[in-house]
Amino acid sequence: MAHQTHAYHMVDPSPWPLTGATAALLLTSGLAMWFHYNSTTLMALGLLTTLMTMMQWWRDIVRESTFQGHHTMPVQKGLRYGMILFITSEVFFFIGFFWAFYHSSLAPTPELGGNWPPTGIHPLNPFEVPLLNTAVLLASGVTITWAHHSLMAANRNQSIQALTITVTLGLYFTALQAMEYYEAPFTIADGVYGSTFFVATGFHGLHVIIGSTFLIVCLLRLIKFHFTTAHHFGFEAAAWYGHFVDVVWLFLYISIYWWG
Amino acid sequence: MPARLSSRLGILRSFATSTRHQVKNKVREHQKLFQEDNGLPVHLKGGTLDSLLYRFTMTITVVGSCYSVFSLVKAAFPQKNK
Repeated sequence: MAHQTHAYHMVDPSPWPLTGATAALLLTSGLAMWFHYNSTTLMALGLLTTLMTMMQWWRDIVRESTFQGHHTMPVQKGLRYGMILFITSEVFFFIGFFWAFYHSSLAPTPELGGNWPPTGIHPLNPFEVPLLNTAVLLASGVTITWAHHSLMAANRNQSIQALTITVTLGLYFTALQAMEYYEAPFTIADGVYGSTFFVATGFHGLHVIIGSTFLIVCLLRLIKFHFTTAHHFGFEAAAWYGHFVDVVWLFLYISIYWWG
Repeated sequence: MPARLSSRLGILRSFATSTRHQVKNKVREHQKLFQEDNGLPVHLKGGTLDSLLYRFTMTITVVGSCYSVFSLVKAAFPQKNK
């Protein structure tokens, strides 16, 4: 009999790792071409190949799990470890930017006027839009937990409603932050304050967009009956990612907006 | 009906109490399609659209790689213009 006698998933040969690696090459060489020769063709190709690879690779994973049943308990355990390790690596990514911020802000140089915020910088009031943003992300943590419990209780309508509200809150955060960026009295070019502020909050914003996208995909899959009450790891992974993004924001808010 | 429209309507319909226009559960049909013993790998098992998307992606991958190598070689030998 030609069938497997183990619980693991031996995947079909797939072209996406190759196209994904090429996409990385095109993105990086594209950046170099943009910076040095003012040409965006290569970078655009890189973005397109990245997008196409992501869409098809993750589509295949949905097929392998929901439609072909390959995600047994040991496989799911491996995916859980994978997601946790990935989020841990992202935490270290942000630690770098917090390090940069504290390096510059704890001992401000004479060039900055010897104080923080530096002379001439008018920081944003932390009790206006930034506080609203904090409330928005904390609320999204509540609604996604509501959605999860509704899913486990087989309450379809409530889980869809709660996840929709979660996605809306994520998009609302992005819109508010975009407006703040536009209205800010300082730019990324305004010394080390501008650099640390926009790089740290900018990468956070990018992660909010990634998290919202992940949640939108989960919402579509939830509507299409892909999840069961006991098996919905994609949803849990999106929820973990959302909570991680929320925690990063809390650290950003306390350090850069409030203390800074 | 296009998938994105049916899902937006799906979101709205999921808020409704009546069962008349609800999204149908097509998971069983998908399971049948993707478990068919036809030797196709998962990235092509969905049908014609899969092949088209694969060919498009592979084409831009190959074209992009060539263009990338060409650009890098060109950048490595700068022309001195008088």
